[in-house]
Amino acid sequence: MTPPNPIVTVMNPGDTTKPDPFTICIISNPVLEAPWKTGQFVVDPITSNQNAFDAAAHYICDVLFGRLASQREQLLADPTIGPKIRVVSIFVTGLPAQDVNSLVAQDTDSNLLIARRTVFLPFLKRFALNADVAYAVSASPTHMRASAWYTSDDDARSGVAFTLDGVSLSHRYYCLIPGTVAIHATASSMTALHEFGHALSSYSNGMVVDLYVDSSPALNCKVGRPIPPQFATYDTTVNASDLIRDSINYPSGWSSYHCQLIDPGFPALMDDYWLAPDHVPEHSQHDKITRQFLADRVRAKIGR
Amino acid sequence: MEPLKPQHKRQILEASPAATPQEIAEYEKLLAERFTVDPDLPRGPESLDLRQRKTDRLKELRRKLFPEAEADADAHEEGLTR
Repeated sequence: MTPPNPIVTVMNPGDTTKPDPFTICIISNPVLEAPWKTGQFVVDPITSNQNAFDAAAHYICDVLFGRLASQREQLLADPTIGPKIRVVSIFVTGLPAQDVNSLVAQDTDSNLLIARRTVFLPFLKRFALNADVAYAVSASPTHMRASAWYTSDDDARSGVAFTLDGVSLSHRYYCLIPGTVAIHATASSMTALHEFGHALSSYSNGMVVDLYVDSSPALNCKVGRPIPPQFATYDTTVNASDLIRDSINYPSGWSSYHCQLIDPGFPALMDDYWLAPDHVPEHSQHDKITRQFLADRVRAKIGR
Repeated sequence: MEPLKPQHKRQILEASPAATPQEIAEYEKLLAERFTVDPDLPRGPESLDLRQRKTDRLKELRRKLFPEAEADADAHEEGLTR
């Protein structure tokens, strides 16, 4: 069934010479599953508030490309990267409250919005669109916190090889399931970019995890005490550890530790950016290995 | 997963005097962990058992940290089963 009224806006054209440029989609969530995994569906209030959706889409686009006031993380603002990324927003109303139209669920155990990741690609296909990373914007009255699932890479297809501590991995060109973000229409500051860090990363080729909890090992997180001076070797680059976790410090019970920061004065963007010592979260940047990994992953995909 | 704002952590502790910052940290860790496993790949029974224990602990913490939300959820569930 073709949705009745999609308003599709190309916010950034991307590499128009390619048949399938690296694409980020921002979608107004038509239907909420409330609560998650119950099969109960209600129309998302965002569908009757196009102004709120448009504002959220512009916010997401702005923070992705480093355009917020005071924003220091400029990963996608790189002139060799930004112009190659296609960003498309889709505002849809009037779809029935059914499973196939529900991109976001309300968590039962928190006020997190949860992306219903397997619905995204079939949904976008109805608009002749594809995505490497997709945001679904909700105006849930009760659930405001954003969350993201990492990308499920298509490991049967090629990519750009790299090594992490001697292990061979690949920045895959294509995915089976895109990285998906569920985000509230009122989200602000670095939230959309923090979630992009998760969503662009990969279950099979390097996960970028939250650093504000005592996480398990991942691309940007290791476990052990005492913290060794060397964090990880990414290709030929040896990265140092963040021995003190900037201004936050590692809680005494933690066993995880992180990579050296680009700016040691501020929390990493995947850490608790709300704790920036000058109260300006926009000053947070990725740590060194995360920045390099995400930049390389985008470069691989825009070069496919 | 979007980090909790400091003022929200303070609100939780004010609204639930029995709760501790360590319990908020554990709750947040359990929430964040859910996203680190591909939910669309099959998992073995051991993994499922561990996941269930973590889910149970998550619900326990939720009840302690957000008693009002829990009451709302219970009322909602009661309404659905009537």
